[in-house]
Amino acid sequence: MKTRSTLWKTLALVAFLALLLAMPKIARNDYQVRILNMTGLYILISLGLNIAMGYCGQINLAMGAFWAVGAYTAALLNTNFKWPFWLTLPAAMVISAIIGVVVGLPSLKVRSHYLAIVTIGLGEVINIILVNEEKITRGAMGIPGIKRPSLFGFTFNSEQKYYYLVLVAVILGYLIARQITRHRFGRAFRAIRDDYVAAKAMGVNTGFYQILAIVISGVYAGVAGVLFAHLNTYISPDIFEFRSTLFVLTMTMVGGMGNLLGSLVGGILVILQEALRTFKDWQLVFYGVAVVLVVLFFPGGVMGIAQRWRERQATRLASAAEKEEAGNPPSGEVR
Amino acid sequence: MLLEIENLTMQFGGLVAVNNVSLNIQEGEIHALIGPNGSGKTTIFNVVSGYYKPTGGVVRFRGKQISGLPAYRITALGLARTFQNLRLFRSMTVMENVLVSLGHHAKTRFWQHVLDPFSVRREEERLKEKALETLRVMRIEQYADEQATSLPYGLQRRVEIARALATEPTLVLLDEPAAGLNETETAELRDILLQIRASGITVFLVEHDMKLVMEISDVVSVLDYGKKIAEGSCSAVSCDPVVIEAYLGKEGE
Repeated sequence: MKTRSTLWKTLALVAFLALLLAMPKIARNDYQVRILNMTGLYILISLGLNIAMGYCGQINLAMGAFWAVGAYTAALLNTNFKWPFWLTLPAAMVISAIIGVVVGLPSLKVRSHYLAIVTIGLGEVINIILVNEEKITRGAMGIPGIKRPSLFGFTFNSEQKYYYLVLVAVILGYLIARQITRHRFGRAFRAIRDDYVAAKAMGVNTGFYQILAIVISGVYAGVAGVLFAHLNTYISPDIFEFRSTLFVLTMTMVGGMGNLLGSLVGGILVILQEALRTFKDWQLVFYGVAVVLVVLFFPGGVMGIAQRWRERQATRLASAAEKEEAGNPPSGEVR
Repeated sequence: MLLEIENLTMQFGGLVAVNNVSLNIQEGEIHALIGPNGSGKTTIFNVVSGYYKPTGGVVRFRGKQISGLPAYRITALGLARTFQNLRLFRSMTVMENVLVSLGHHAKTRFWQHVLDPFSVRREEERLKEKALETLRVMRIEQYADEQATSLPYGLQRRVEIARALATEPTLVLLDEPAAGLNETETAELRDILLQIRASGITVFLVEHDMKLVMEISDVVSVLDYGKKIAEGSCSAVSCDPVVIEAYLGKEGE
């Protein structure tokens, strides 16, 4: 029974991976592949936010700013110093992590909604710096001419080729997030979210883990920013509006907070967003309504619904098994 | 002396919750702290475990001053506590609840959690084995994979104690462990507490169940209105007229 279900799971996983690998071929044009690439980047940011908010309960709404920091670090190092992608990536990770500590520090003093507001503020400060430090960032004109990454002479110079780079990044990002959240660090995060006071009594250095969770979320968004800069080859501050943070927040909440698969499911919203593009600003209304509905009726998001369904299924199976056992005469005769 | 509380005062604005209390706990004893509601017992626990910074006096644990240290550091030094109103981690199984407490015994670094899944898995096995040992002491190993908050109240109380024991303390502060338990459960708790003492862990106990206190305590301290009014063996304290007055009031009043 158990081996059969794992066999099915493996088959489904292989089929899913095959589908992912074939996606650029299935897509009809570059534009559709671009949407898939953006989906991957948003999934990365959402994974980060999920660790900070879903697991640790630290609402980091500076995610757009982190993604800008990653993108600008990559753009500046690449255009000014000709650093290749493989160097801008670790550099941007380090810088995002440092800024993550700064954004994380208020979590020692303020909690929940208050922290959300403080992180919005810090995020906006970072965005304003990017617009106004014209000497370095060229302000609203943005930075053109960022080079596409290449590896052993192979250049990711088309949307299709870049797709595979993004795919690898998302898979690695997911596996690392899973590794972090499944063991000691994930338990410490959840302990803080569940009961901050009790966590301290169990020897959890709450301040350290809170800042760590925000740093991790920042690094995820920073990596997405680097990937975006090298994909788009041109960046300007208006791509990193607060709206993108709200979008990632919606994605994470609808997908399922505290469940990494939720971030993957939430990726569907990126595709949906493209479909809703004709509604322009009304899109924000959709996000708002979606978040309110999720909070009110499905706090666990899509993954929460899936889990509840599975639990119900399990109890039904268990009670059926019990009935069968009770119904059978002890000698095991045919009824 | 394992724990020394010296001239401890805890003032909240104009309210003096604990007033110049001194109290010593010897290694290996069960020391009960009793007193009417609002007499400052839990406040003392909160100061000792690092939740409040005392407004006067010091607390020393194994000779080292701990008052003023953050709570998690005090726990790491070997002083664990439980909470009067259960504070289990509600998203976690019983096993995971206990594993949180084992976190500061873990040796893997963060980078290993990112890059080295093998060491992490090996350590995880080791921690789980340890957690299971603690669950066995509390006789709840069969509930390891249940959601902690879905258990009956009496068992949740035991998870709470298991979680404190898993930090591997030398002194454990139990805040009303028998509250809400029925007679059978209390009897089982008594056995468990004696077993804890036998394993070398000192117990500092706040409890209202006088039968339990009298059965297991080596020393009893009595608080009233934030002051220590008596201390001694069970029999001495229960005959002390000052204590009787605090609990029952003066004759002819």
